[in-house]
Parts: sequence; structure tokens; C-alpha cells
Amino acid sequence: MINRLKQELESTFREISVAVPGENGITVVASPVQILTILRFLKDRGYDHLAMISCVDWIKEDSLELVYLVSAYLTGDNEYTGREKITVTLKTRIPRKEPEFPTAIPVFENAEPYEREIHELFGIHFTGHPRLIPLFLEREYEIPPFRKDFDTREYVKEVFDKIPFVENKE
Amino acid sequence: MRELELYFGPQHMGMVGNFSITLKVEGDRVVEAVSNPGYLHRGFEKLMEYRTWIQNFPIVCRMNVVEPDSMEMIYAMGVEKLAKLEVPERAHYIRSIYLELARVGSHLFGLWAYSNMLGFDTVAQWAMYHRDLILDLFEELTGGRVYHIYIWPGGVRRDFPKGFKDKIVTTLHSIGGCVPDYNNTFFENRMFYKRTEGIGKISQKEAMELGAVGQVLRATGMKHDIRKTEPYAAYDKVPWDVPTRENGDACSRVLVIRDEMIESVHMIFKLLDNMPEGPVYNRVPNPLKWTIPKGDAWVRIESSRGELGLYLVSDGGDKPYRAHFRTPSYPHGLIILEKLLENASIADVGNIMISLYVVAPEIDR
Amino acid sequence: MKKGSVFNPFKAIRFLFQKPKTLCYPFEPKEPAKRYRGFHLNDWDACTGCGNCADICPNEAIEMVEIAEIKPEPGRKNERPKLDYGRCCFCGLCVDICPPGCLSLSGDYFHIHFDTDTFTFIPKNEKSDGEHFLAPPDYSILKASLSHRKKDFPGFSTDLDYALFEPERVPMPQVEPEKRKLSFIEQVLGYSEEEAIKEAERCLECQLCEEACPAHLKISDYVRAIRMRDPEESLRKIFEDNPIPSICGRICMKHCEDACSLAIRGEALSIRWLKRFAADSVRDYKKVLEQKPAPPSGKKLAVVGAGPSGLSVAYFSALKGHHVTVFDSLPGGGGMIRVGPPLYRLPIEAIDKDVNYIASLGVEFRFNTTIGKDILFEDLLNRFDAVFLGIGTTVSRSTRVKNAEKCILALDFLERNKIGERVKPGRKIVVIGGGNVAMDVAREAIRLQYMNYPGEEIQTSAVSLEDWDIMPASREEIEEAKEEGVRFHPAWGPKEVVLDENGDIKGLLCMKVKRVFDEQGRFSPSFYEDEEMFLEADMIIEAIGQAPDFSFIPKELFENLKFTPRRKVQVDEFGMTSIPGVFAGGDIVNINLDAVTAIADARAASEGIDRRISPKAPLPTSL
Repeated sequence: MINRLKQELESTFREISVAVPGENGITVVASPVQILTILRFLKDRGYDHLAMISCVDWIKEDSLELVYLVSAYLTGDNEYTGREKITVTLKTRIPRKEPEFPTAIPVFENAEPYEREIHELFGIHFTGHPRLIPLFLEREYEIPPFRKDFDTREYVKEVFDKIPFVENKE
Repeated sequence: MRELELYFGPQHMGMVGNFSITLKVEGDRVVEAVSNPGYLHRGFEKLMEYRTWIQNFPIVCRMNVVEPDSMEMIYAMGVEKLAKLEVPERAHYIRSIYLELARVGSHLFGLWAYSNMLGFDTVAQWAMYHRDLILDLFEELTGGRVYHIYIWPGGVRRDFPKGFKDKIVTTLHSIGGCVPDYNNTFFENRMFYKRTEGIGKISQKEAMELGAVGQVLRATGMKHDIRKTEPYAAYDKVPWDVPTRENGDACSRVLVIRDEMIESVHMIFKLLDNMPEGPVYNRVPNPLKWTIPKGDAWVRIESSRGELGLYLVSDGGDKPYRAHFRTPSYPHGLIILEKLLENASIADVGNIMISLYVVAPEIDR
Repeated sequence: MKKGSVFNPFKAIRFLFQKPKTLCYPFEPKEPAKRYRGFHLNDWDACTGCGNCADICPNEAIEMVEIAEIKPEPGRKNERPKLDYGRCCFCGLCVDICPPGCLSLSGDYFHIHFDTDTFTFIPKNEKSDGEHFLAPPDYSILKASLSHRKKDFPGFSTDLDYALFEPERVPMPQVEPEKRKLSFIEQVLGYSEEEAIKEAERCLECQLCEEACPAHLKISDYVRAIRMRDPEESLRKIFEDNPIPSICGRICMKHCEDACSLAIRGEALSIRWLKRFAADSVRDYKKVLEQKPAPPSGKKLAVVGAGPSGLSVAYFSALKGHHVTVFDSLPGGGGMIRVGPPLYRLPIEAIDKDVNYIASLGVEFRFNTTIGKDILFEDLLNRFDAVFLGIGTTVSRSTRVKNAEKCILALDFLERNKIGERVKPGRKIVVIGGGNVAMDVAREAIRLQYMNYPGEEIQTSAVSLEDWDIMPASREEIEEAKEEGVRFHPAWGPKEVVLDENGDIKGLLCMKVKRVFDEQGRFSPSFYEDEEMFLEADMIIEAIGQAPDFSFIPKELFENLKFTPRRKVQVDEFGMTSIPGVFAGGDIVNINLDAVTAIADARAASEGIDRRISPKAPLPTSL
């Protein structure tokens, strides 16, 4: 089943690379414009569960990598077809300076909080997202906190070391 | 009628964990709900990038207070997949027993929270007492009651002490002997049905659209369980069944939890009978300097609330380059909760939230 | 699930009459489990101060502090861990990595105090701190303070099967005894690259070995370089302190391995074999090391003896820019190392590799030159700016019993076998002595016997004053000698060499030893004169010790040469003897009598030489 999916992907899309590292997954590397089409393609083939959208900061190669992890639910009659084991890992790279990317909400409705989190922590702006407001953090940061050039020790010194100690008044 | 904005906020007697929902209410009905996570954001994923692979273990389990064991398991599985380590057979069985005990403990915790919310305080205290018995078992095995730090790559940290098997059996029998009392007081109680039937109903199609996993999905009739579709540890070695219900409302979810607890107890007995002898730990290389070759891995397990996943990236160094956890409360608490709270009455807000089994530390990490 | 009747929940009323399950802590204390992870305990006698616990703590909660009451020894630091309980998360990783197993967690988890400073403390245990660890007779939990109950509740302690370090070393491939006793091939085959990397991974980098090494080599740095697959960098690190790695990698006495943390409950890291791996994997030292000596200073140094101390002084001084000439009476470099250790331990090619590199730095070697005969000592003092004596102990001692002149001396035996003509062995050989030289002699003798009399009955025995427990030879040598077939007779002393009617040796008459050292620890053996044993032999070799040969020094100068009470040449901290301009090092100065201490002496001496003769050096103040 994996090999059939691999052939279908390779025959439908140009300039992507498909690898099968183990028996449970396929890794697909594509360019940013093809991502939404591939996602729709996978959803039509029955891979309808978006597990996660993640982001990795490759600072040495000056790019951010978006990773989409898609797998399948059981079909309606509760039969184990073997497709539930497979996870498709979809990767793409976008430049680090002022990154932008179209949102995946039209395809998978539950992508909304993942994209909010990535916007807040890595700084990628998702065009078309209805509610791109901060999810966890309450302050504004110059450099988005999960990037590799954000120095946590410096931040702690700046923000928390300025608070004076509470003296013991006996 | 005028709209009022209410904060079902982090300091609330009905709230489990630090999580807040902003409600717009009209009279007794909720018009719109917005969830506000972020009170427990400790930045674990960034902290993990500064510690070596073994030093991360004491941190990883603290991500989730209610069931820390599934976090340890998923991190160990991720590291083993990246580094291509083998785990001995007996360690697989011990890990399964350990995870099932954690599942029972976590479900009892959820039962405490839910029955407290509904007002059935008696059942809540019983559930906490039985969970305490399970925490005693953990203390005997691992040395800590809540944060165990027991599973690490290569196996488990210590073997069963002498006489432990009998202790597990006795404890589980004593818990199982109370099931008729639970049934009488809670699960067959007419008040329970009056309060939970039809509340927070979600259809299977909608659940699939919104990315639900775990009990929320199994209560709508789908037998989706990672322990069956992608078996790990020793789950494919004993026969067991996935309990489901049909309706998709709060009542079905809680009944699915009850059935899962009973199934877990039976599974533990079967695993204890079949456990082989042998070593439980394959030594890993020097922990201060162990480097893992470049690559990435995606692993997932079925925790007590649903599908828990980890995406782990290594760049060839001695520290993780990126670790991203996909926790089951994330879609439940942030998307499904907002959908289900529309047109609910105020008294049912807590009801719906805890029946979805949203645990706040998992969302924020 | 069906709905039960309305009256069902009332069945729970019976719990109202049962005893509550709540635990009234602290009036009903709860005993923790056996493996509970509570506050720390540390056994100060076993703790070595290595600091591995501080390295692995994920929260940096452990800090090593110096304790003034403990005396530091080489291999044991006087630091102990200090814990900050505001940061500790009680994970127990420090317990799992502790090499001696002295750190453990107790079952105590309770501490209340107004003063926050008491939450950071240095853990001890009941052996060293009875006040806190044994509860007073009127103890009650209502008066709880730090650690009263630790003695009774053992808690989480270490287990070697699950420890985080690897206690077994990668075994070194060796030739097995049945094959190796038939020839002089090198016994140790050396690590392959994969084995060396696997062995180097075991190192915990606690650096206890660096203090135990007499020359203070940067051991953890060069082991790490081997692990990173860079033996050339490893060689560079070694050459900063030790110019003879091929030699030391085969015969060093490895003080470092005795101090290694892993040796306490496992097997030490094979530091010596890793040094040999680094030296052997680089074919051409010069290309890799690229050492450039300093510009020539115009000063000249004479070194007498091309042994480890002489070679090291030559190396260090040549790098500082001085012109060095090394004199030795043997045909090649190495000194006693060239003729002492047998071919199966130290082949000549290994020695020449190191010596040739030192020669390529500009050092001039004059072999086959004996000071006192070919060149007079006074000429050296006149023509050179400084002289270094690395003459070693070249003269074998004799037992001087009756007819001892018929016996062969150890150094002659070894020298002839290594670089001269092989000695034809007798069928029954007795070796007198229990040190490493005696082991070398015995193992060479048995090889010669197998090679010369294949299939016939032969025997080599070793007779020593010392019994098994105080035999000075190293354990490895004794075990390997036993494997090859040498028979041991410990605690017997030589009385007389018995001759037959032709004047050839018939055997050795021995008497039982009562005691070797007297009450003050001085060497003064006493015997049971009437308990005797006769050992048949047709060749007896005496290997009871060596002495230096100072005959080349003229009498007037020799009277100025001061000696220590243990009959060693007295030198100051920079290696200069009581004769100005004359430095000394090696076996004539130190009591360890091994190569690496000689290198340490040479380092100090080269520093002193440089201060004395360098044109920019300040005037010497101590003389």
C-alpha cells in the first residue's frame, strides 16, 4: 500500500522527492506552492487526519522547515485496512526573513491552533487565517522565542534579574 | 437580552488544571466561547534543546501531571527509533503493564474530576482513594509516586522487586471488587443519565473533521486505537478489545472510560501471566557524550486521552535539535470545546469540558 | 448500561460505618518504599570527588566544594558534592552514574526550617555524621528536622547492572599463551579503529587520571580526540607532555588506570592501549605534528644516556631552541628500555620510531660512545653549557652467596637476547628475584627453552624472598608468567650455589624466609636457617636489582654530589644536582623507577636548564 501511494504521488506531481524510510511512513519533500495541492490529494485518498503541523529552525541553512504529518482514520465500517499505520510526513522550506505561507484551514479544519502556535513561536505569517492572535505568550518579543537565535539566558537576565529580592525583615 | 462576558477562569472550583474559557452568555445560554490556554506554558520544547538525550528524561515526564508515564514512553520510543536501539523482550512487557496501570490511574483521576463537577462527591473520593493505591504500587516499583522517571531508552530503569507481581494482583482485585459500588452509585444512577445524556453531542463525521482522537472518537462508534493499528510494546501479544459506544455525547464518553478501565485491568492480568524472564535494560553508550546520527522520527502511542505523538529531529549532536509533542488535549481543548460550547447552558460548561478530558498542562507544554 | 433503580445509590450508606481510609499524617507516619527517592546520602570514605554527578545533573543542582579536612591524593580529589534542594528534582541520575556507588538517595522526604540556607547542604551519611542521621531516643515526627530517619530507610541506591557507565572494557586481542611461549612475537596485538572508539567512549572525563599521572598528561583530551575519530589530534595532545608514546604505550606502569573512576567497580579505561593506538595509527610523526623548534639560542646541552629521561630532556630543550647532543654507549636509542623489556613486550621498531622523530627535530645522537672512556666527563663540563645525567641503573646487583660468580646477571642476559647473540639456555633454569625484571628474565628464559629444546622436558622456576602478597612485580606479569609455565617458589632465599665435580652449576640451595622487612620497614631479611630446599638447575640468573654506575665522574666532583637517605641523587625542584650546571633525572633520582616519572623529571630539568643557560634567562637565584 505504501508503494502504491508512492507511485501515485510521483506520477502526479513534478519535482518532489518521495522516500520510504520504514514500513510505517513516507517522507515527501516539496516546494511551498505545492503543499496545499498535495494535502488535498492525500485527503481525497483517505488520509483525513492531520496529526500535527510542526516547524524546525535550520539556522545554518537560513531557512525554516514546515512539517505536516497526515495519517488516516479507520473507515466507517471499522475495518483495519492497513492504511491507518501509514503517516505521510510532508516537508517544505521557506526563507527565514519575513516568512509567509498560505493557511491549510480550507483543507483540514483543525489546523487552526497549530498555525497560531507556529506564528507566535516562530514568526511565520499564515495568510488567510481567521484568528492569528497569540495563543500562549503574553508579551511581545523581538525575535520569536523558539528560534535558535533567541538567547534564553539573556532574556532571563533582562526580565527577571531586574526584580529585586524580597528582604527578610525580622 | 444582553450579552455578558464571563471568565470561566483559571481560578475556579470546577476547573481542573490552569485553563480558562471566556464565555459570552445570554441569560443561561452560552453564545460564544473562546479558550485561553497559556497559564502553564513552561517552554519545555526549548528547554529540551539545551540538555543531552539522557538529561532530558527528568524533564519530559513533567509535561503532564496526570499521566507522566506516556510522556516518558514516547520520548524513549523516539530516541530508540532515531538511534536504532533494541529493547529486550521483558522490558516490553514491563512497559505495557506500567502504561496500563498509568491508564487506570489517569482514568480514576478523570472520574474524580468529573463526578466532582457533577456533584457526586462520594464517588470522587472513592476514585481518589483507589488511585492512591495505584500510586503506592508505583512508589514500590520506581521510587516516586507521581513522577517516575522509569522508562528510558534501552529498556526500563530497574526490574520488578520481589513479590511485586502479587502486590499488583491484590491491589487490582481490591479495586475491581468495588466496581459494583461504582455502578450502583454512579454509572447506573438515574441522575447521572439525566445530567449527561445528549450533552455535548458530536457526530462521527464532525469528530473526524475537527481532528478528535481518543474517547471522543470512540464514543461515536469508531474503533480507532493506536494500540491496535500500530502496535508497540507488548500490545499485540495478548488478546483484548476496544470498547466503543454509539451516541457521541458526554454519557457515552464516560461509559467508554469505564469500559476501558475494566479492559485495562484484564489486560494487566494477562500480561503478568505471559511475562518472560530475562534482562530489562540494554546499556546505552556514555550518557554525557552520546550522539545520535542525523535524522528525524515520528512516533505515537495511545495515552489515556488519545493519540500522543512526538516529532524528534536530531542534527548529529548530543542534544535534540527539535522536539515537538502532539498532545491529545490540543485539538480537544482548543477547537472541539469551542464548537461544543455553543448553545450549552452555563451549568454544563464544566460538564462538557471535563467529559472531553482536557488536561491543561498538555496543551501548553 | 441500563439505568438502575432509584434506591441503588443508597447502598453506599454502609461506608458511613467503616473506618475512614484517610491517613492522619504526621500522627500515623507512612513508611516510604524501599526504592524511594528522597534526600541524598554520600559515603565520604568511598567518594573520590570526581564530579560526575555534577556533570550529569539536568538542573545544575550539584556543585563540588573543597573540604579542608580531607587530604588530596593523586587520584582522589578533596571535593565533595553540595546540593541545592531548590533545584533538585530527585531524578536519581546522579546515583546511577556515580562510579564508586557512594551517592544514594534515602527514604526521607521531610524538611522544615525558617532559614533558607539549610536547603543547600553537603550530604554525608551515618558513618561521618552521627548527629543528624541517628534519631535520638525521644524522636517524634512532630519535632522533625533534617534527616532523622535516614538510617532506617535505605531508599534508591545504585546497581551495577543498571548503571549509566560501562564497567567492562573492550578486551585487547592478545596471542594466547600456548602460541606465544614458543617465540618472541609481540604479545599484544593492538586495537582496531572501531574497538578503540568504543573503548574511548567509556571515558567519563572526570580527570582523576590526569592528577595521578606523574607527567600530568592531558588524558581526557586525547581520549576524546580518539573518540572523535581524530588520532592525529590525539597524538598532538600526547606530544605536549610525552615525546615517547610508542614506548609508553607498551610498557608504561599506568598509574592513571589505577586512579580511573571506572576501576572502582569495574575495569579501568585502557588508557595505555589507547595511547599505543594513537601512536601506531600515525605512520609519520613529523608530517602530523608539524612542530617547529624555537630559533636557535646558541647554547649547547649534553645529555648522558638516551633513556626516557634523556630523550625527553632532548625533546623539550630542542623545542626551546637549544642544541642538544645525546651520548649513549648502546648502538641505538632507548637506554635501558632498549635492552631491558623483552621483544615480546617492546619491539625495537617502536623505540626507533620515537627516537628518529626526536632526532629529526635537530638533536644529535652519538651512539656507541661511553662517557669516561671515549669522552671524559670534564670535557663535557667544559665544552657544553649544561649537562644532564640520565644514566639509569645499568649494573646488576649480585646476591654474593657462595659461588655466585658462576651465575648470569639479569641485565647481561636480557641485553644479549635483545640486541646481541641469543644465550643458549640450560634445561633447568632458576631465576632469583621477584620484580618485573625477574619476570622478564623468566619469561625470556622459558621461550628460549621452548625454542631450543622442542618437545623435551624443560623447567624455569622463579625464587623470590617476597611472598605473594608483597611480590613487587605487577599482577599482570605474574599471571602471564604463570600461564606460560614458569614455576614460582615465593618466600625462599638463596643460600648457596651448589657445584658439581666439574665446577658446573648443579643447583641452588635455598632457605625459608622468616621476614623481609623489619619493624621500621627497612629491607632486612631474616631466615629459618635449618629449613632448606634444593632446586636442581644448570643455569641460575640473578635478577635482584640494579644500581647506577657513577664511575665516570672524577673523584673530586663525586664528593660534591649529594645523595638522599634512600641513596638517590639529590636534586632541587628544577632538577639541578648539588654540582652547578649538572642536572639529573630518571631512575637515579626518583623512587618510582618507571618511564613516565622519568619524563616528569626531565620536564622539570629542561625548565631548569632553560632558565640557567638561555641568553634571555634571568640570573639563577637558587644555587
